[in-house]
Amino acid sequence: MTCYPTQRLTSRLRPAFNRCNITTNEGGIIDEEYKVLYARDRTETTSAVWLALTTGCAVCHDHKFDPIHKKDFYSLSAFFNNTTQPVRDGNVANNPPIVVVPLPHERDRYKELGPLLAQSQQAVDQAKAEAKKAFDTEPQRVVAAEILAGLPSDGLAVQALLSEGNGNAVGVMVNGQLQVRTDNSPLEWAEGHIAPQALLISEKSNVQLQHVEVPFEFDTPFTYSAWIYLTKDNITGAVIAKMDVNTDYRGFDLYVEGGRVGGHLIHKWQENALKVTTQNALPKERWHHVTLTYDGKAKAEGLKIYVNGELRTDRQVTADKLSGTIKTEVPLRIGARSVATQASGTRVNDVRLYGRQLAADEVQRLAINTRVGYLAQLPRASLKPADLDDLFAYWLANFAPGYNESLAAHRALQGEEKAIRDRGTVAHVMQERNEEAEAFILERGEYDQRRDRVTAETPHSLPPMASDLPKNRLGLAKWLVSPEHPLTARVTVNRFWQEVFGTGLVATSGDFGISGQLPSHPELLDWLAVEFREKGWDVKQLIRSFVCSATYRQSAQTTEQKLAVDPANRLMSRGPRFRMDAEMVRDYALASAGLLSTKIGGPSVKPYQPDGVWEAVAMTPSNTRFYKRDSGESLYRRSMYTFWKRSAPPASMDIFNAPSRETCTVRRERTNTPLQALATLNDPQLIEAARHLAARAIESASDLELRIDFMAMRLLARKLEPNEREIIDGSLKSLLAHYQAQPNAANELLHVGESPVQDKLNPSELAAFTMLANELMNLDEVVTK
Amino acid sequence: MTNSSSNSQLNPFAAFQQAYARRRFLTSTAQGLGYAALGTLLGTGTSLAANPNSISGNGGLSPERLQQMLPHFAPKAKHVIYLHMVGGPSQMDLYDYKPQMNDWYDKDLPESIRNGQRLTTMTSGQSRFPIAPSKYKFAQHGKSGMWVSELLPYTSRMVDDMCFIRSMHTEAINHEPAITFIQTGNQVTGRPCLGSWLSYGLGSENENLPTFVVLVADPTNQEQVQAISARLWTAGYLPGQHAGVSFRTKGDPILFINNPPGVSSEVRRTTLDGISALNQLAYQKLGDPKPKHASSNTRWRFECKPVCLN
Repeated sequence: MTCYPTQRLTSRLRPAFNRCNITTNEGGIIDEEYKVLYARDRTETTSAVWLALTTGCAVCHDHKFDPIHKKDFYSLSAFFNNTTQPVRDGNVANNPPIVVVPLPHERDRYKELGPLLAQSQQAVDQAKAEAKKAFDTEPQRVVAAEILAGLPSDGLAVQALLSEGNGNAVGVMVNGQLQVRTDNSPLEWAEGHIAPQALLISEKSNVQLQHVEVPFEFDTPFTYSAWIYLTKDNITGAVIAKMDVNTDYRGFDLYVEGGRVGGHLIHKWQENALKVTTQNALPKERWHHVTLTYDGKAKAEGLKIYVNGELRTDRQVTADKLSGTIKTEVPLRIGARSVATQASGTRVNDVRLYGRQLAADEVQRLAINTRVGYLAQLPRASLKPADLDDLFAYWLANFAPGYNESLAAHRALQGEEKAIRDRGTVAHVMQERNEEAEAFILERGEYDQRRDRVTAETPHSLPPMASDLPKNRLGLAKWLVSPEHPLTARVTVNRFWQEVFGTGLVATSGDFGISGQLPSHPELLDWLAVEFREKGWDVKQLIRSFVCSATYRQSAQTTEQKLAVDPANRLMSRGPRFRMDAEMVRDYALASAGLLSTKIGGPSVKPYQPDGVWEAVAMTPSNTRFYKRDSGESLYRRSMYTFWKRSAPPASMDIFNAPSRETCTVRRERTNTPLQALATLNDPQLIEAARHLAARAIESASDLELRIDFMAMRLLARKLEPNEREIIDGSLKSLLAHYQAQPNAANELLHVGESPVQDKLNPSELAAFTMLANELMNLDEVVTK
Repeated sequence: MTNSSSNSQLNPFAAFQQAYARRRFLTSTAQGLGYAALGTLLGTGTSLAANPNSISGNGGLSPERLQQMLPHFAPKAKHVIYLHMVGGPSQMDLYDYKPQMNDWYDKDLPESIRNGQRLTTMTSGQSRFPIAPSKYKFAQHGKSGMWVSELLPYTSRMVDDMCFIRSMHTEAINHEPAITFIQTGNQVTGRPCLGSWLSYGLGSENENLPTFVVLVADPTNQEQVQAISARLWTAGYLPGQHAGVSFRTKGDPILFINNPPGVSSEVRRTTLDGISALNQLAYQKLGDPKPKHASSNTRWRFECKPVCLN
């Protein structure tokens, strides 16, 4: 992971602008088609935002009087066609190229960790190399007997190595006594793992161990284990079992189910049994040591599965109710239950049954020492590379203290780095390939209809790129902000003007081209653009000059004359007046109620949303199928932090014309629909905000008039006129009477929203003021900027 | 231009417009439906379909000219109910009888039919493309003799009252673009959908209800569900009030339609009256007749109006 100094980090993050487009991992897509679509989206977005040109019009063909030709479009798209980003996003959040962005106070440490990790890795490698030397030169230090002595022997009731290699007899150790059991049919054998041979289970080849006492019961702890090797996919059957299929499946087994591994403890299938398996199948054609330990407490959580000494957490519990005996008269079998259910195609070594629950470290030794003990008995020269690796791993763990120390130090650093990464975030960025940026002119815009190859060039009708600029995104960016560029500064100040005044000086803020409108005040636009550019592109200064202007500060009051001469206020005969954007409607309500969180940054949040909005449009495996609402501060963050699912945008913002964010929008439409009124009247977010504003008003004064003033100041930034006050007083009187008569209704209303009810206040009074706040919050003047 | 009149001979541009509009209507779903918008654009206040004679002279066009611009058949439809059955059985198993397919069973699709059709990555790995005929029995039904399969025993009794279109064609090779195509006339998202065009074109005779509603089904088979998205009922580049109002299967059918807990209609009436009275005062003071927020309407109703910027 590359580290960046802060300055460098900021500039690395800037290309994130180009990563806002939709990507896909849909199974049926054609990669080249989507590669073209991604580059097209980036080209159109860049054109709309910085040039206010609808270059996308030229995707299919030239237009007679349009200065942007098809060649211009594809040459411009070449700048964005040179990324290392894979077409398929893998359905993951950190689809490369990405940059890790630690929290600000951890960036220095994160930067230090890079070289430290390289050093510690080097130390680990060095210690390993030294250990390897000793491993090769002093093989005698690995003593098989010592290793095997480390195996848990306490409570070992039954053990069968299953390495006979021919015939139909197997040796079994029962409580330390060797017994021989002979099966009727000939057994099959294959290469073993901790012995030269292993039993290969098939319909015929499985072992019945008559008269072997097994001390397992549903209320006693026990353990059973085996080495297994699955020769194919989807094996299902018993590896070890003492189970009576004909009597409710009573008994226990070690079971393979479609390659997944686990076991049953059964009194009566299915209502009185435990069943646990791994969620993932074991890889075939490899040996695995499988151990099941049971604590005797008759709960599935006490039946643990270990594979190769590691406790498995990918558990699937399908039965978890056991209260009766699991003892049965049918014999213990290896490779089958009492009837059929053979795990055919499985090789087995070293079946063990313990009459106690082995601890995790014992299970681990069982998995390691059985294997290493066997390998240590063989001449080194006869070992295969995989065998040597296993043996060397044991050496490293036991005979290389230096290695273990350096490994521990390395892992600590890795852990620290991961923790910093997890606390921070990742940013999606662009990264150029080494090749020259290129694109193809596409006939009618179709991805598979390639015509001439073009390289990265800016549109021919605009001033050319300086010859010393590189033909890549950096060069393009420098060209955009060069002083002779006629569009960038004008387009940008116009968009900010639109933000503040509701309509741009050029009303078509995304189209300065031939279909766009002419500016209402061309000299003003020029002056603002030059000022903006020469003052160092200072946005804050620009906004200040807007909001401090006499134009902005004039009253929105209009007259008949103004309406006649300047109906749409394009001449700025009065102050701007337009409905706030979706985010602002919500943020304004939260701010007036004192609920708005001022926290900056961090992951997106999920505030209140009606049930079912996501579910209605989600694919079954989608990780955004179910909306899980956040709680606490996350409910009151600024709306820009709200999690955005493009196929189902946040309902309350969607209603207020927030764009879907599927493509770039430089000018939102502004409609006035009843759904908007329903949202501001009934959305729990706004009802809760009304309650908080009401509570603050009540706490601010005991006089009713002063309380109303308080709310008016918070929402309207002015006091009420006498005729307005009359209406408000009327509403309040009626609401107070209603909620005093109906305390239950008051109580219900006050419990809207997650925040606790202000229980020191009179509930009826608070409810009445809540609805009064709701009334005020719905005034045209409040939702109008 | 078989239908040219003396007017169009005098005015070649109008003649061109006429022919162009008609041709577009027949060839392009999305643009064609825009034709239905005439009623609204000409400000008749009622839909063309409801009363084609209501068109009054406007935009420099005479009533005769406007009459000529109508399609060959006078539009009669007043309502459209459109059921989009994502994941339904294939037409080849229902009503698109293809007996020849039986002769072609297990033979590869000939290149003369496939015509270089591109493949999805889901099918591109196949070594061959064998033809599979329907396994269901077809029979002719009704006076029209419509072929319908045994899977539709009830529908087959009603064939004389139905219209089957068996000439549909698409370039889309995948679910999502195909659904987008059939809803909007284009595989790429962002165009208005059928309902939005009808809302725009036919308008509504009812001021109290939305013109275009969408009912999203809750599929019984949740495991094989094909995702759909809200973009399938958006207004695209038409004004936002033509977007579908989605009625939901769970929770409130319309978002935020119900009063919050503890708020009776009596309380809501009180606050709405207050809002309305206060807004009226504000408009008087501002001298601007245009409300910016819908709750300001004196009468509480479903009225959708675009608001001019300022």
